[in-house]
Amino acid sequence: MAMLTKIRRHPEKWSLFRPGDRILLILIGILVGICSGLAAVALSRSLFATLHWVHSFHGSWWAFLLPGIGAAVSSLFLNKVMKEGAGHGVPEVIYSVSRYGGLMRLRSSWSRLISSWLTIGSGGSAGPEAPVVMSGAAIGSNIAKMFSLNERQRVTLVGCGAAGAISAIFNAPIAGMVFTIEVILGEWTALNIVPIAIASVAGTEISRFLQGNNIVFDHRQFNIGFVDILASFGLAVIAALASILLTRLLRQMPGLARKAPLPIWLRAAVGGVIVGLIGAAFPVVLGEGYHSIQAMIDGVFTPGMLLVAVATLAKMLATAFTLGWGGSGGIFAPSLVVGSLAGLTFHRCLTFIWPAVPWVDEGCFALLGMAGLISGMMQAPLTGIFLIVEITGGYEVILPLIIVSAISSTVCQYIEPASFYLKELVDKGQLLRPGTDARVLSDLSVHELLERDCICVTRNMLLRDFVQTVQKSHRNFFPVEDEGTGRFLGIIHLDDIRPYLFDPGLYDAVILEQIMDHQVEVVHPEDELPDILRRMDERRLFSMPVVSNGRFLGMISKATLLDRYRQELRVQTQFIA
Amino acid sequence: MDAKLFHIFRNTPLGRETLLQSLYFCKQADATPVVYIPRHTKFLMYFENDVVQVDLDTSYLTAPGSAENHAAELLSDNGMDPDFFQPKNFTASTLPDIPTHFDFMCCPRSISDLSSKIGLGYIGPRVRRIVNEAHFPVLLTSGVFKPWKRIAVLFGGSANALNALKLGLRLRRTSGMPLVVYTLLEGKSEEDYRSIVRQAHLEDDFERHGDGWHFFEDGPIEENLYDIPHDALTVVGAFGHGLIKDMVFGSMVEKIQSVLPNNLLVVGPKYTSLV
Repeated sequence: MAMLTKIRRHPEKWSLFRPGDRILLILIGILVGICSGLAAVALSRSLFATLHWVHSFHGSWWAFLLPGIGAAVSSLFLNKVMKEGAGHGVPEVIYSVSRYGGLMRLRSSWSRLISSWLTIGSGGSAGPEAPVVMSGAAIGSNIAKMFSLNERQRVTLVGCGAAGAISAIFNAPIAGMVFTIEVILGEWTALNIVPIAIASVAGTEISRFLQGNNIVFDHRQFNIGFVDILASFGLAVIAALASILLTRLLRQMPGLARKAPLPIWLRAAVGGVIVGLIGAAFPVVLGEGYHSIQAMIDGVFTPGMLLVAVATLAKMLATAFTLGWGGSGGIFAPSLVVGSLAGLTFHRCLTFIWPAVPWVDEGCFALLGMAGLISGMMQAPLTGIFLIVEITGGYEVILPLIIVSAISSTVCQYIEPASFYLKELVDKGQLLRPGTDARVLSDLSVHELLERDCICVTRNMLLRDFVQTVQKSHRNFFPVEDEGTGRFLGIIHLDDIRPYLFDPGLYDAVILEQIMDHQVEVVHPEDELPDILRRMDERRLFSMPVVSNGRFLGMISKATLLDRYRQELRVQTQFIA
Repeated sequence: MDAKLFHIFRNTPLGRETLLQSLYFCKQADATPVVYIPRHTKFLMYFENDVVQVDLDTSYLTAPGSAENHAAELLSDNGMDPDFFQPKNFTASTLPDIPTHFDFMCCPRSISDLSSKIGLGYIGPRVRRIVNEAHFPVLLTSGVFKPWKRIAVLFGGSANALNALKLGLRLRRTSGMPLVVYTLLEGKSEEDYRSIVRQAHLEDDFERHGDGWHFFEDGPIEENLYDIPHDALTVVGAFGHGLIKDMVFGSMVEKIQSVLPNNLLVVGPKYTSLV
């Protein structure tokens, strides 16, 4: 038992792992991939069964209440039982990776699975992918914690969990891997790419073992001509605009919901009922919507152009009401549905305007629309490309797919510089991607940079005594403290007293209180370094006193900060290399 | 005075007692209180290798309008400047992150339980995880404010107990209050325990600042706790036995806390001694 505990706590001391931690990470990555794959399959199968069961009630007059009931129970479960904070999952994972080295709560490994099952299973317009990403990431984080792994290794395992989950739910290992690197971690390094790839394979294999090797959407052959490639430029712009609209709706809706003076669970119920009402007119908006996508790809989605266009808006509204009013789930699947509807609308517009042109089947445009929405919403073009290629099993659409994904993400980035997942983090300054200034500075603290070799003086000290103190010091700053209380009163800079130094007649006539600077800009130990640097730049200061509870602790200077910055950067880039 | 004690304020009579106890502790330990008035019933603490979610009961949100004034009043009555903590980072909109760089943290015993069990009860799983992961010791206050006049260190010879002794000696120096060490022999000799202190290079410090070492020769710890003075701050090392042993025999800290109503200062395995 003791030996097992020792191995668990210090796996790096086990002879197998001594040559390096890559083998260790790969092995644990497989475990994480399997666990997150199982979580994804569990949610996927549960949703399949529940949606099938709920579908039998759709003829009833009260069916519109079902999404409301599901959302209310989901909200109660998440807030009262699990005591989780609100959120869609992926931003929390990115936040945890950015700020806390991937530390996540154990409860997150399953809480979102149940809450999103309740929301989506009852007909709410949301996707299961973000919950499984959160679940997989939390599994990775907690396994890393169990083995007492370090921060870098933990982040990699969080990535393994996310990759395993996406790979399993879509049966798409490359998309899982690319999504993790592009969206969650934001860095490609030799250390993390291999375990994440292996975890993707493990997650996919688990899914194939339990559900069969089925691609999500049946493959169809598309004969793409030059006109279709030209048309894909227009579709990219449409997809980008749809992405922006959906992003803004999703951001505005929680604010609107908060204005309703209702308990959280009742708010979720109201949002769900509205979705139910929308769903009564447009059933395509209900649930994850994969069946409708298949119908669109197959070219058997019957409503006309105008109805499809309205259904696109309806799906956006339904998603915003589901997620913004307190339901649980992600935006992956809704983006795919909105994208395919947008693609279909665009195709029908083209055939309406130029009926003689031999356009490719509308199913192809549905695929391209999906890629455009995914790339636009997440500003992750590679994820869009690989996901669509893998979930449709077709490579022939790759050229227009690249065009749509690249242009859509570029246009979105131009209008909304941060993606849906990152916007809030960027606004709060909490997105700390590896290798960036913000990340390096976040790993340093004021305490680490304190220069404590300053000589403190008192306000009643005579200039004569002070001159002797100056002779003993190699610094230009002298903090002034109150003799009785020790409180920081101000500072004397050598430049400020130069006129007095060369007039010995003043030595016994001037006390420091008369010449010290009382209005000093100070720093507190809990201040963040980017803020301190900004203040130094604004006021053209090279160093500032650090004061805590009215007492002087030391000085912080740009020179020391730069020195430590370089050291920290070296450590971080050493890991990346 | 650079040390800081983190206190979660509850705007109730019970919360007032707890804050008074924290303020008294700060005066003796030469620390500054940092008071957090919660706006949500939960918060997260990210440690080096664990993240702990603390779920408060709704009494922590009582009368938020007057909470700050009440706390400020108590602080100024004790000659301290109000230093209210405002969370900067949030994992979710209703889930603030609380930093973990403090030197002490006051965990009222109801932090993981209902107030019906205040006073005596058990150390909840959250507090246990905080103690296990934190670099700071956790102060579990008595139900009603009671100034302590001496320091009692419960020393069982483990690494955590050594940390408790170091902390006790530190408090002895800052507060000037007498320090007595209590040890349950558990089949070993007095010399065994003295040699542990010697090997940790604490012997001289203890000779200088310690005011006695009391050995309990037999009986379980619960039966000997009556000898610990009622007005002593009890410093104890936590969870030194490992999970399995704790599960089978029960944790020593749990036993002490359920019997002893004194203020308790619990030192975990990751405590960074300032001695």
